[in-house]
Amino acid sequence: MSDRAPLDRLTCVLCPVGCELTVDTDAAGEIQVQGNQCDKGVPFAVEEVLHPRRNLATSVPVRGGAAIMVSVRLTCPVPREMLFPILAEIAKLRPEAPIGRGQVLIADVLGTGADVIATRTIR
Amino acid sequence: MSIQVETCDVAVIGGGPAGLAAALGARRAGAGKVLLVERERTLGGILNQCVHDGFGLFLYKETISGPEYAERLAEDVVREPIHVETGAMVLDLSADRILRINARAGYKLVEAGAVVLAMGCRERTREMLEIPGTRPAGIFTAGSAQNLVNLQNLKIGREAVILGSGDIGLIMARRLTFEGMAVKGVFEILPWASGLERNVRQCLMDFGIPLELGMTVVEIRGRDRVESVVVAKVDDRLAPVAGTESVIVCDTLLLSVGLIPENELAKRAGVELSPLTGGAVVDETLMTSAPGIFSCGNVLHIHDVADWASFEGFAAGASAARYAAGERPGGGAVRITPGANVKYALPQIVTPGASGIEWSFRVVRPLRNVQIVVKGKATGRIFARKKFARLLPSELQKIKVRAAVDEDLEVACRE
Repeated sequence: MSDRAPLDRLTCVLCPVGCELTVDTDAAGEIQVQGNQCDKGVPFAVEEVLHPRRNLATSVPVRGGAAIMVSVRLTCPVPREMLFPILAEIAKLRPEAPIGRGQVLIADVLGTGADVIATRTIR
Repeated sequence: MSIQVETCDVAVIGGGPAGLAAALGARRAGAGKVLLVERERTLGGILNQCVHDGFGLFLYKETISGPEYAERLAEDVVREPIHVETGAMVLDLSADRILRINARAGYKLVEAGAVVLAMGCRERTREMLEIPGTRPAGIFTAGSAQNLVNLQNLKIGREAVILGSGDIGLIMARRLTFEGMAVKGVFEILPWASGLERNVRQCLMDFGIPLELGMTVVEIRGRDRVESVVVAKVDDRLAPVAGTESVIVCDTLLLSVGLIPENELAKRAGVELSPLTGGAVVDETLMTSAPGIFSCGNVLHIHDVADWASFEGFAAGASAARYAAGERPGGGAVRITPGANVKYALPQIVTPGASGIEWSFRVVRPLRNVQIVVKGKATGRIFARKKFARLLPSELQKIKVRAAVDEDLEVACRE
């Protein structure tokens, strides 16, 4: 064991268990993960260190509905650096009621492969 | 003038994640006439303003947002012949299970065979913390800020300081950042974060928002609007240390300093409350000290995951249905008390001879490589033990006892 600090210590965000993962490189330079309680932890930690991805949720004003706002999210996580560019795209939205839960408001936003969907029904 | 009097088998007070599940649980356990009362115009409770992702992993086996979780659960309720009253406020509840309701159609009384309390919780306020200073605009609890931003499209300020590291505060740090506000820091009086670790990472670290532990706000300044706050380090007894103060310019202060079960109705019905949880003392059927009145979700004890509030709701609803059908629980006589490092364990009382009971518990401080032990107080017999690599006060945990319980128990944490 080397006594230098590991590459990263992080908490897995895939579920509320929140495993504490230690990420380091071994002698061969391969990334090693410890502390995961399920097999999703390893690819998560590797990705989290090399290229973190996040989901994004916000809400946008609705025209003509019973509610002022409709909440939205992405269908899958995107590279973290895409959050603010995507927020700027979402900010241009002014969807009109009625809106169905799961309705796609922007398909494949900025080419990320994620859709922006409504997360509630507005009548 | 005659007052309308109705009857029902099970009345559920509150239509959030716990109450919706309780109504469903009651129906599935055979209750004929189920009434669900919600004071807001829409079902779902606080879930409607929790637009972020991370709900439903346990109930729906996928991660969805709060509004989606609420709608899916509410759709299940609406499919059942459950009488849903939204925009209706329960004004009073008596020990003999008479509800006084201010409903949309007017005032009415409901006699219920059984009642499920699912009123959720409130946020602690500046007044409860007694933060000195002026009384300007710009001070919000994190949840009310969440409501204003997510549901009402209001901009609440430009530069914010957040006091307390509860989950809603952490989530609002990210939310305000998305809205273009500068979040200057999250100040937590304790030496550890109160919210879930994944929120510290996703909501603060991702955006370079500092988390200052062992610090608090000691003064609020500003005449009409917040102009700055004074923060200071605290000592071991959480008292501010003179000479460590610094001024942070901001126009907004968010408070995320704890939640309190909203038990005004429970008190009216004479329900015994626990000083450790702020909620009712319950037995293994989630029945309170008032026969036929059950409790679940955040009004019983504060949950960090909505799914667990719903699971508790399903169980409380089922128990209420059985009570309404004439089944009587054995009557709790065994007491369960928290031991070393454990803040509380729930249920607090159990019917002698009951088996397969699962306790929810919380620890008082972060712990590593510990064992939770459920032990007989008289005999010292070990009823259950479970190892944990790590326990945090922010995380509600569970431990199950398979054997029949026949003596007072202690739930303790051995290091």
